Amino acid sequence: MTPSWILDIFAAIMLAVAAVSAGRLAAARPWLQGTQAVLADTDVSHLLMAIAMAGMLTASLRTLPNGAWEVIFAALTVWFAYRVIRDAQVSGARALAGGHCAPHLIHAAAMLYMFLALMAPAAHGSGGMADMAGGMSGMGTLQLPFLAFVFALLLIGYSIWDLDQVSGPGASGHYSLATARMVPAVAVLVGAAGGPGAAAASVSADGSSSPAEATDAQRVNASIPTGHAGHGVLAPWVATTCRIAMGATMAFMLLIMI
Amino acid sequence: MSEIAAAGIRPRWRSSLDAGAEMARGAPDVRRVLQLALAAIWLLDALLQYQSFMYSTAFSQMIGATASGNPGAVASPITWDATLVSHHAVLLNSIFATIQLLLAIGIAWRPTVRLALAASIAWALGVWWFGEGLGMILTSGASPVNGAPGAVIIYALLAVLLWPADRAGMPAPFTAARAIGAPVARALWLVLWLSLAYFALLPANRTPQGLNSMIAGMESGEPGWLAALDRGAASLVAHQGLAASIVLAIALAVIAVGVYLPASAAKPILALAIVASAAIWVFGEAFGTILTGGGTDPNSGPLLILLALAYWPVRAVITTPARTTLAPVGANEGTTAS
Repeated sequence: MTPSWILDIFAAIMLAVAAVSAGRLAAARPWLQGTQAVLADTDVSHLLMAIAMAGMLTASLRTLPNGAWEVIFAALTVWFAYRVIRDAQVSGARALAGGHCAPHLIHAAAMLYMFLALMAPAAHGSGGMADMAGGMSGMGTLQLPFLAFVFALLLIGYSIWDLDQVSGPGASGHYSLATARMVPAVAVLVGAAGGPGAAAASVSADGSSSPAEATDAQRVNASIPTGHAGHGVLAPWVATTCRIAMGATMAFMLLIMI
Repeated sequence: MSEIAAAGIRPRWRSSLDAGAEMARGAPDVRRVLQLALAAIWLLDALLQYQSFMYSTAFSQMIGATASGNPGAVASPITWDATLVSHHAVLLNSIFATIQLLLAIGIAWRPTVRLALAASIAWALGVWWFGEGLGMILTSGASPVNGAPGAVIIYALLAVLLWPADRAGMPAPFTAARAIGAPVARALWLVLWLSLAYFALLPANRTPQGLNSMIAGMESGEPGWLAALDRGAASLVAHQGLAASIVLAIALAVIAVGVYLPASAAKPILALAIVASAAIWVFGEAFGTILTGGGTDPNSGPLLILLALAYWPVRAVITTPARTTLAPVGANEGTTAS
């Protein structure tokens, strides 16, 4: 079976991601941003997913009952599906291929799938996260393995794409990573005040951003207090790196539980 | 230079692109997208290598089995490798998986793409011998349906074809020709697909039940729906081994010469290559047996698809030391030949 020290390494990475995400939330103080507080959703989802995955990977780490995680990830899946649909209304299918929210939707849906697919065979256990962890280290399997494979492929694809983007000299506008650099602060503020359309108009002026990218920039930057955007732990590449680590870890978990 | 020579996807009015400006825009070109697909497959391989199965004795037995039927000079190192893996399964398998993980990261991370591609060639060649028994091409059991000439050698081929360099002043009618030139790229394609056609006609594959047994043998451990697909495909070729092998060989030979045809004719043939590769992947390789929990890689199907995409005709790109220029419209249209 997969050595426990490998699972522990992945668990440690997830705990680091959780700590960074908590740090980003603390630094951004979204609770002081009024209606823009919802824009911290990606960091909240990173924090929750990382904790849940660490609990799955290490039997000794007890977090929430499986049922609670199912509710949480079902809610996150619905939320990000709504965000993707809203992006798609602005930029069409591009929101699915390279949009800001599509990877988060896949992450949330994959987490929900993992809990639901493993719940049935583990139903005779205590019902806690140890069931999942015990299932992994004991090489339990997921129901509908093809779905696990598809999720793993999607997660791997997004992780590799993110890695390319985070290492690019100019980086793409598809992700928050680049838009923080490319979009003038004034344009973001105007966009935030005027809605997605206003943001789109202001960003498209350089000829390299789409309306969807503009809304991404608006969301990401608007969630960060003025003067802090793109610096330190709030730098967009930090969130992207967290997403890469989570995507790869999630794909790993799905594959070893097939 | 000109990592971003976006052949065939740029509007006519932008016939001359400054590579630096394009890099700053961050829009990946076709070759970069294919490199990323290759990186994704390496990452998939790495994660599969961490599965429980790979830490069991079954993994070393699987390696050892590839020695069977190979000449002694090829088989002996494989047997030695299998023995070594069986004695140090945890350490060696973890190293194998981590190397593949680093290859994936290296290809996806732009500053290290050359280093990682070069390393992937060396690694792939080693695995081709020590892990896949040279794809069994020296045995009587090689078949395009079961993954010959070995999935991992196609990784190496792709790394060469997708190498991030351009031949200055040479038009590249397809992505795979950008680094090594169209004649060499076409020759590599021809050799690969003609070898697949040859393997399809090996005596073991021409027997009445040869293909049937091979496909039916993939059922074990697969989910019900995939096992049913395999059973259906196997029943289609039951007692039809000779006819099926001939049809398959003809299709593969047509694919082999397809890249020498004009673009209008090459595209349908490359589409046929993609469809054939997908069919091989699903019916012959059962997704690389990944769904059984014992697959080390997705096998050759996805790699052949990636290869076909690298040969898809695009508007010719002429590179110079400072600029990447699209050839005038029509200059290379209608033919993939340079």
